[in-house]
Amino acid sequence: MAFSLREALTKNYQRWIAKNNPPRDQITLNRKNIFIVPTRNGLLFIFTSGLVFIAAINYAVSLAFALAFLMVSIFILSILHSFNNLNQLTLSSSSTQDVFCAEEACFRVQLSRSPKRRHESLELNFPNSSASPTMNSTTSYTDLAARDTEEVGVFTLATKRGEFKAPRLRVLTRFPLGLCRAWSVVDLNLHCLVYPRPVPFSMNQFDSGASGGSDTAISREGSEDFYGLRDYVPGDSLRQVAWKSVARGQGMQLKQFVDYVDNKIWLDWDMFYGFNVEERLSRLCYCVIQLSKTGNVYGMRIPGGEYPPATGPDHRKKLLRALARFGAE
Amino acid sequence: MELSYQIPRPALIWTLVAVVLVLLPQSIRMPIWIGVVALFCVCWRVLIHNGKLNYPSRKLRVVVVLFTLIVSFSQIRNIGIGLDSAASLLALGFVFKLIEMRHKRDIYVVISLCFVMSMVAFLYSQSVLTTLYVALVVAVAMGAMIALNRSSSVVDNRGTARLAMKIAAQALPLTIVLFLVFPRIAPLWAVPMQTGVNSTGVTDEMSPGDISQLARSAELAFRVQFEDGVELTHGQLYWRGLVLDHFDGVTWRRSRNSSAYSVAASLADFRISYDDRIRTLGEPVSYNVILEPTQQPWLFGLHLAEDVNDEFFSGRNFELFNNGRITQRLSYDLRSYMQNQTDVLLLDSSRNRTLELPDGGNERSLEFAIGLRASVSTDREYANSVLAHFRQNQYFYTLNAPLLGENRIDEFLFDTMAGFCEHYASSFTYLMRSVGIPARVVVGYQGAEANPYENYLMVYQYNAHAWSEVWFEGEGWVRFDPTGAVSPTRIELGVQEALRNDPAFMEDDLFSAARFGGIGWLNAMRLRLDAIEYEWNQLVVNYDEDVQFELFERLFGEVTEQKVIMLMATLAFIVIVAVGFTVINIEPRIQRTPIDRFYLRVCRELAKINLVRRRGEGPIAFKDRICAERPELADAMAELTDMYVKLNYVGKSVSGAEQKNEMQALQTVYAKLKTKMPALAGLRRTG
Repeated sequence: MAFSLREALTKNYQRWIAKNNPPRDQITLNRKNIFIVPTRNGLLFIFTSGLVFIAAINYAVSLAFALAFLMVSIFILSILHSFNNLNQLTLSSSSTQDVFCAEEACFRVQLSRSPKRRHESLELNFPNSSASPTMNSTTSYTDLAARDTEEVGVFTLATKRGEFKAPRLRVLTRFPLGLCRAWSVVDLNLHCLVYPRPVPFSMNQFDSGASGGSDTAISREGSEDFYGLRDYVPGDSLRQVAWKSVARGQGMQLKQFVDYVDNKIWLDWDMFYGFNVEERLSRLCYCVIQLSKTGNVYGMRIPGGEYPPATGPDHRKKLLRALARFGAE
Repeated sequence: MELSYQIPRPALIWTLVAVVLVLLPQSIRMPIWIGVVALFCVCWRVLIHNGKLNYPSRKLRVVVVLFTLIVSFSQIRNIGIGLDSAASLLALGFVFKLIEMRHKRDIYVVISLCFVMSMVAFLYSQSVLTTLYVALVVAVAMGAMIALNRSSSVVDNRGTARLAMKIAAQALPLTIVLFLVFPRIAPLWAVPMQTGVNSTGVTDEMSPGDISQLARSAELAFRVQFEDGVELTHGQLYWRGLVLDHFDGVTWRRSRNSSAYSVAASLADFRISYDDRIRTLGEPVSYNVILEPTQQPWLFGLHLAEDVNDEFFSGRNFELFNNGRITQRLSYDLRSYMQNQTDVLLLDSSRNRTLELPDGGNERSLEFAIGLRASVSTDREYANSVLAHFRQNQYFYTLNAPLLGENRIDEFLFDTMAGFCEHYASSFTYLMRSVGIPARVVVGYQGAEANPYENYLMVYQYNAHAWSEVWFEGEGWVRFDPTGAVSPTRIELGVQEALRNDPAFMEDDLFSAARFGGIGWLNAMRLRLDAIEYEWNQLVVNYDEDVQFELFERLFGEVTEQKVIMLMATLAFIVIVAVGFTVINIEPRIQRTPIDRFYLRVCRELAKINLVRRRGEGPIAFKDRICAERPELADAMAELTDMYVKLNYVGKSVSGAEQKNEMQALQTVYAKLKTKMPALAGLRRTG
C-alpha cells in the first residue's frame, strides 16, 4: 500500500516536473524550479534545538531559550541561503561528443552567473528515476566563485546504441550549512550519438582479400615503405625498434613498414553472415576503427546506405554515425 | 561517490577548534582526568587525519564504552546524579565521538553536541561574558559546517569565517523576536540542580577568622536597586542574613533544635502568630535584590524584610530562606520596615536560647561584665558602656587578628585587643549574655557601593559583617554594632576606607579592578562593566513568562489567546519576509530606455487587436507579419519600426560624448513617434 502510494507520488512528481520544465537549451533557476528539503543532518540539528529548548524550559534558563531560538533561526536562514546558492544560476547545454556504447557519455553543461552572485559546491548528475531506473551517473562538482562561467562534464554510461537523449539533469547544493538540500531538475535537451560497441575479432580475412567485391584492397604490414611509429609491444621484433628515439628518451617505439597492395577496402553488411543486427554493427564498427587507424581507404555498404571509399576522420565519423543511426528511420 | 562523504581538512580543524572552545570553560568544573582524556582524543584525531594513527578498533571501542559506564556509576555514587556528573559524562561521550569521527554526518553529531554543551554552560552562568563566549562557539561551529560543505579544493578560512558571521548576524533579529514573543512555558518537571561548586558568602557558622576571610575576596555578593526616592545612608545598610544564637566557646551557630526553616514549624514552636510578634512604624522601603549564586538557601535584606511576591520562607528570627539552594542568579523583591519592633514579648524558649553560655571558661570576662553591670542602672546603659569600653581603650580593627587560644573571649578582650567584626560581635554578645541580657549574633553584609551609571548598589564579599542584637524589656530586639564603636569609618564610609592600608584586604583578588579603586579610569571601567552586567541581568536573564506577560499587557492591553497567536504570526511573517529580502538579493529589474518602453506600449496596444508579438520575434519580423496580416497598418507600422530599430540598435553602438547628442536626437524622434500614437489608437477602435 505504502509502496504503491509512493510510486503514485513519484509518478505525479515526474509528470509535474515534465509539465513545468519543458526542454530548453538554456535555463535560469528561480523560485519556480528550485526545491528545498532538510537533510538528515538538518533534522538532527532541529532535534538538538528541541533538546536545548526542553532543557531551557526545565531549568528556566533564559539564555538557553535564546540558544534554542538562535538554532532555529540559523536553520531558517540556511534554507534561504541554500536557495540563494542556486537562484539565478543559468545552465545551458554545450556541444557533446559521440561515444561508443558501454562507454561513459560526457554531456557538457555550461554554468553561468550574474556578476553579483556566487554559487558554491554545486553537484550535477543524472538522478535515477522511474523513466531511467539504472542511470549509472557519476556526480560532478563545481564552484562558480572565481569566474563567471564554468563548463562541467556530467558523465553517464551509454547503454544503448543510437540517439541518446540525456534524462533531466539535477543540480544540487547543500551549501552553506548542509542543513538543507536545494535542487532543481532541468531538461537541457542534451543529446549525443552512441556508436555500436566495437567487438574485436581477427581481421585476417582482409589479408587474403577473399571477402567483398573484386575491387577489395588491403594493406598489410610489410617491409618496404616506412609508414610510422607505434608503441612497442612485448614480442615485437627488436630489429624494428627505433633505437634513435629510445636514445632520445621517447620510450620503445617500433618502426612500421607497409606494403601498399591496393588501398581500397569495402566493408559489407553481408561479411558477417549469420550474426544478428547488433552483432554485425559491432563488428563493422570495429572494422571502421581499425581501418581508420592504419590510414586505409575504405567504404561501407549497409542496408539503406552506401558510402564510397575514402579516408580521414570525417569519413570515419560519417560511417560510425551511419552505424549508430542504423534502423532508427 | 564515497569521496564526497570524507571530511575535508579545513572542516576538521574548524570542528576541533569548536570542540576545544566548548570544553575549555567546562574543564574547570570537571575532574582533571576528563580534561586529559579530551586533550588525548583531540590529538589522536589530528594524528588520524595526518595518517599517523588509525581509527580505534572494535575491541578498543568496547573497552571505552565499558570504561564510561564504570565511570558514570562511580560518579553517581560519589556525587549523585547532578548537573556536574551529567556534564562530565556528556563531555566524555563527546570526546570519544571525536576519534570515531569518520564521515560528514559524524561531524554533525559533534556539532550538535557542541550546541548542547553550550546550553550546559548557560546552566552554570548567564553572564555577559559567558554569552559572548557561547556566541563565539556558535560562530566557530557554523564555520565548521560551512567548511564541511565547501569544495575540498577551496581553502578559504577567511571567507568561511565571514560567511559564518554573516549568517549569524542575519539570524540575530529573528532570534530576538522569538526570544521576546515565543510563549514561555513553566518547567515540565522539577529537576534539582546539584552542582559541585563550593558555597560562597556568609555561612551559618561563625568562628573567629571566618568573616575576615571573606574580606579578602572582591567577588560580588549581590546587587540592589531601591525604588525611586529612597535615600539611605551607608550606616543604615545592614543586610541581615542569618541569626546565630548558639555559642560553644569557639563557634556561633544556628540553634539546631528546630531543623525546619519553614514558617509552619516555627509557628508550632511558638504558638504565636507572625503578625503578633512584629510591630512596624512608618512606610516600608521597596527594593530589588539580584543575588549571585551562593549554593546556600538564605537571602539577604534590610531588617525587617517582607517578601513581596510571597515566594520565600520566613525563619524563626525573621530571616528569609529560598526553597532550595541558590545555584543561579536570583532576583527577588523585598519590602523593609526600617523602623520596627520584634518580639516585644519574648518567649521562654527563645529567652533560654539567647542566654545560653558555654560551661566554664572566660572567667575574666564574666567578672568584668558583672562589675560593669553593677556600676550602671539599666540594661541599655550597660550595653552603651560596653561600647564605650571598646571606644576608649586601645582596640584595633584589623584583618590580621592574632591567633586565640582556649579562652577566646578573655584573650581578645584583655590581651590581643585586635580583631575583625566577628571578634567584636562575638565578645559583645558574650558580655551581654554574661549578665542575663538576651543577645545574639547576626551575620550578613554591611554597606554597599553605588554604581553611578545605573541607579543601583553593589555589595561585595568584603562587605561581609557580623553584629549583635540585644533584647530589652519593652523594646524587643535592638541592633548593636560594636565594630562601629571601634572603627566608625567602617560603618559610615565603608570597609574600603576602614581597611585602606591593610594588605590582607582583597588579597584573594590581586588583580581585581576593585583593588585599584584609586585609579580613576580603571574604577570607572569597572563600574561601567558592572552596570552592563546589571542591565543584561535585568533585561535578558530575568526575562521569563511573567515579564513577558507584563510586556504584552503594556503593549496590547488585555492578553488573550487570539492576540498572542495573531502577534506571533504577524511578527514571524514580517521577520521572515525581511530576512528573505536581505538574503535573496532580488535581481535588479532590466533597465529599459524610454524608447524601449514606448515600443512595448505600442506592442501592448497591438496585442489588444490580436496582433501579439511572439516569443523571440524581432521588431522587423513582427513588422513584416503585421504588414502581411493587416495591410492598412503597414505604413504606420513600417515607419515606426524603422525609427525604433535605427534608434535602438544603431544608436546603442555609439559611445562617449556623442551619446549626449544621440540622446537629444532620440528625444525629438520620440516626440514624432508620439504623434503616430493616435493613428494607432484610432485603428484599434475600428479594428
